[in-house]
Amino acid sequence: MIIFSERINGMYRDVRRAINEKQKAVVQQLVKEQVDGGADVIDINLGPTKGDPVENFVWLAETVHEVTDKPLSLDSAKPDVLTEATARVKQVLPETKLIINSSTAVPEVMAKLISAAAENGAGIIGLTMDQEGVPGNVEKRVECGATFLMTAMEGGLSPDDIYLDPIILPVNVAPKQPWNVMEAIRQLAVVNDPPPKFIIGLSNISQKCLMNRLINRTYLVMCIAAGLNAAIMDAADKELVEAAITAEVLLEKHLYSDDYIKAWRMQKGLA
Amino acid sequence: MSVPDAKERWSGKITTVTIGATPAEGGTRGSTVTLGGEAGIPFLSFDGETPNPPAIALDVLDVEPADWPGPLAQVYSDVWSDPAAWAKRVKELGADLVNLRLVSIHPDEGDRSPEQAAETVKAVLEACDLPLIIWGCDVPEKDQRVMPKVAEVAQGENCLLGAVTEDEYRTLTAAAQAYGHKLIALSPCDINKAKQVNILVTDMGYPLEDIIIYPSTASLGYGMEYIYSILERGRLAALSGDKLMAQPVLLDVGLEAWRAKEARTGDEAAEVWGPAAHRGPLWEAVTATDLLQGGCDLLIMRHPRAMEAVRKAVSQLIEA
Repeated sequence: MIIFSERINGMYRDVRRAINEKQKAVVQQLVKEQVDGGADVIDINLGPTKGDPVENFVWLAETVHEVTDKPLSLDSAKPDVLTEATARVKQVLPETKLIINSSTAVPEVMAKLISAAAENGAGIIGLTMDQEGVPGNVEKRVECGATFLMTAMEGGLSPDDIYLDPIILPVNVAPKQPWNVMEAIRQLAVVNDPPPKFIIGLSNISQKCLMNRLINRTYLVMCIAAGLNAAIMDAADKELVEAAITAEVLLEKHLYSDDYIKAWRMQKGLA
Repeated sequence: MSVPDAKERWSGKITTVTIGATPAEGGTRGSTVTLGGEAGIPFLSFDGETPNPPAIALDVLDVEPADWPGPLAQVYSDVWSDPAAWAKRVKELGADLVNLRLVSIHPDEGDRSPEQAAETVKAVLEACDLPLIIWGCDVPEKDQRVMPKVAEVAQGENCLLGAVTEDEYRTLTAAAQAYGHKLIALSPCDINKAKQVNILVTDMGYPLEDIIIYPSTASLGYGMEYIYSILERGRLAALSGDKLMAQPVLLDVGLEAWRAKEARTGDEAAEVWGPAAHRGPLWEAVTATDLLQGGCDLLIMRHPRAMEAVRKAVSQLIEA
């Protein structure tokens, strides 16, 4: 399981304020908690912050990098911002692995972002949607996913660097989507060899739900069984992380031992 | 059309562990033995390198063995009343290490004291300069008194001490840590426990890099395939990146092979089974060479001809 920390996101009020007022300590404390919880990649998302977004990305990336050398995923819905931010961050942090989060399967967007990934040795997340928006069914997700994967490989990326995100929507407004996402993962995993990686923005499933943590945990386990191998999630949520590890032990992704949680943490150098 | 590259790309690698210390390293050994380091499936050179071929230790008991059959008696009976002389013999025969079993500390086998055991270890260290493996008697209460003493007199020699288990690991781990020795982690035919013992020992602050996995052993005809599948699963987990399974593996082949009736029975069975002088060493050699395919770094053996046969097989497999 590749854990992308979701916490460094300007949608959270504390992070937004830290970005606006350039308070490194607030961000760095959060990053430490996420890394200690098991985060492998730090996703950084500016949210609705003030100022030049590219400069903000550079500041945020440097701030995070001061406390961890984990890969960074640059998270924005604006292709131009992502292209420029990826190049700039690569310049200031040449040793850090970057992941572009995200592209859609819209041809112009793919062309721009896939070549940005290839030029900077970065990974990329492809949303399974095109100009028509988020698909309401499995078929369209699979079609968009396959298109993105093919384009990315033609663009010179290795399957290891390609993540497909079948886009999860809140269960309280789109009750059929959780199953559609799982089925899309299953189908995309079967037809591609070697398969790409699959990722979801987990917390989206429980937006405005009262039992959000329980829903996140349950759905993450279900998706892992379908073939998910990465998630943007709260790495500091111990029960969530432990449920994911347990699911992977039950799928024989890790060798069981009585202290398998501790083993997983030791393996990451966290114990 | 080109042939697709079917090579496995492993993310993990077996750790390397060195046993013994030369004078330059603070000990008195004439040589050291390095185990492990494999980066692929055993003997598939295209898959990954095998920098250190499996090493072989020959058995030395601290008392005259009660039940060793003829072919072994022929090799050792003139020295086996004296562990120091026996250790010298083992070196002459070409072993890489001496495997010393403190049988006589067992409450039912002489109940020798920690001090007596320490004397034996000292005598063996002085008589023979090969790296040393030292085992207690498998009675935890007694081993807990003897092994710290033994570890202390062997300080600086970087020995391999056996064995810690899931239930009994604190004393021996502390002794190995205090006096600078390597540890054998025993998990009888249970891969989940192999991982668990490593977690427990490491949790005490003992380095994962200083552990040897001992999954127990079974001989040809007596459940060897169970051990084989454990070796195989463990090695695949290690090569796939599980650091808690990436330690070199030890197998006690001599002890198990010579318990088999096919190896022990004398020439009264020669008409059907062939002469005992060949049968026993062959049983031991076949057990060893089979298990080596599963992934093993250190073999404990008994008969010199079995050892030679295994070395020959290994050199052919590594050259190929």
